[in-house]
Amino acid sequence: MAADLLELVDVEAGYGRAALVLRGLTVRVPPASVVCLVGPNGAGKSTVLKVASGLLAPRGGRIVLDGRDVTGRGPQSLLAAGLSHVLQGHSVFPEMTVGENVLLGAYTVRDKVRVAERVDFVRTLFPVVGARWDALAGALSGGQQKQVEFARSLMVSPRVVLLDEPSMGLDPKATATVFEQITRMRDAGTAVLLVEQNARRALEIADQGCVLDLGRVHLSGPAPALLTNPRLGDLYLGHPPP
Amino acid sequence: MSLVFQSLVLGVLMGGLYALLAAGLTLYFGVMRVVMIAHSAFLVLAAYLAWTFTVHTGLDPMLSLLVTVPLFFALGVAVQRLLVARLRPATLTMMSVLLTFAVALVVEGLLGFVFSGTHRRIPLSYSGARLELFGASVALVKLIAFGLAVVTLAGLHVLLKVTRFGQALRATMQHREAARLLGVDTDRVAGFGFGLGLATAAVGGTALALDSTIYPSLHWHWIGPLMAIIVVGGLGSVAGAAVAALVLGVGQNLLQLPLGTTWAQTFFYAALFLTLILRPQGFFGGRLAQRF
Repeated sequence: MAADLLELVDVEAGYGRAALVLRGLTVRVPPASVVCLVGPNGAGKSTVLKVASGLLAPRGGRIVLDGRDVTGRGPQSLLAAGLSHVLQGHSVFPEMTVGENVLLGAYTVRDKVRVAERVDFVRTLFPVVGARWDALAGALSGGQQKQVEFARSLMVSPRVVLLDEPSMGLDPKATATVFEQITRMRDAGTAVLLVEQNARRALEIADQGCVLDLGRVHLSGPAPALLTNPRLGDLYLGHPPP
Repeated sequence: MSLVFQSLVLGVLMGGLYALLAAGLTLYFGVMRVVMIAHSAFLVLAAYLAWTFTVHTGLDPMLSLLVTVPLFFALGVAVQRLLVARLRPATLTMMSVLLTFAVALVVEGLLGFVFSGTHRRIPLSYSGARLELFGASVALVKLIAFGLAVVTLAGLHVLLKVTRFGQALRATMQHREAARLLGVDTDRVAGFGFGLGLATAAVGGTALALDSTIYPSLHWHWIGPLMAIIVVGGLGSVAGAAVAALVLGVGQNLLQLPLGTTWAQTFFYAALFLTLILRPQGFFGGRLAQRF
């Protein structure tokens, strides 16, 4: 089995002087897989992603990316090391075109040939990006904006992408498209660490799942097994549809 | 040619100058969410430097821009790094009003100390020259000030639209955290954005000095109308502020005919209050302004 691409080991983190949000959390993301974090509000799911991408410095533990200890590094350094982060809600630059948004994804890439190749790649993976290239990103629907954010995050050829509640605020059709795009990202070789409120839907496309509660991993394992775990079903997934 | 047309032409020229004077305020707010009360004090400082330059060298005050633009850029970066960046993010906007109010008082005090409170005017060989423009008689200095504004704003537009720094600055203005995650050094960009804002004050102050009598407390006369312009235009939008500046400049000049200059000045405040009541996000700022 391949070594894990991203590892958060015994991580402790919090905001300001407030109490810890993450209390010794361990999560591992294998290459080209989708790992889903589910759990109640306040469990620390988004904080895991902020620590992993360098937006929030951990107070303890280690973060290992592709075998290298990257604990305490900032977003710029982690991006260069192959990690992208798509924020919760809408984070497109609304007064810039779709094209400008996507090209800003390659802000740290100086090789124009490589940038052109990545543009071709994301336009193929996300057809809406090519179709609305010159439109203002803020004028797109919620689902389309999310796809622009995905495309932007892939411009640096990341090995792992962190997605924070990508279906938040989307209608069912747009949600279906977004989840389909996540599996396509995985199939294209990118590992995905996914935080999602829509736990059942997320576990259906994930390879691994982790259930967080009070800043720790409460339960983890293959996603199909978690889906059928009666304890988890009662707690977080609701009753399965008839 | 009718007085109305004459006022309309003057209004457009004044509006162009207002747009330049307000551009910096928009940049500060867009990049840092800072309400920069001291912007007009720096305008007056630039005007005094232009006056000093011309009085001591006998050269045209516009040549002083070669020194004041880079100087003000560096000053802006220093103000951002040493003062504004130290404010707590949670109360940044509110505290920036107090901080920059204090900076304005310091600049005014220093100007009074160095130059005294005496009113000054740059001696220009062409200060009385007038040109016919579409049948309207226009002072040459007003045309030059307008030209300076147009060239500076066009340069700013190209900088923001075309350059890598401009893209990073716009991204930082529109979603700072997302920009950071794309590898933009947002702290550095914010510093340069502040510097850019103050560099526009160097040009604006020089343009102002061509046609105005200057004195240390002149900035209080300007800060109200400039704040009105950026609110009406939509906070954080350079283009919105430019459109609002033109509209308010023309409106003010047209109102001078029936109301006189003093009452016409209230047009800015009336527009400010109406905007806050009817459309607090401003009229010309687009989606970006709606976030504030």
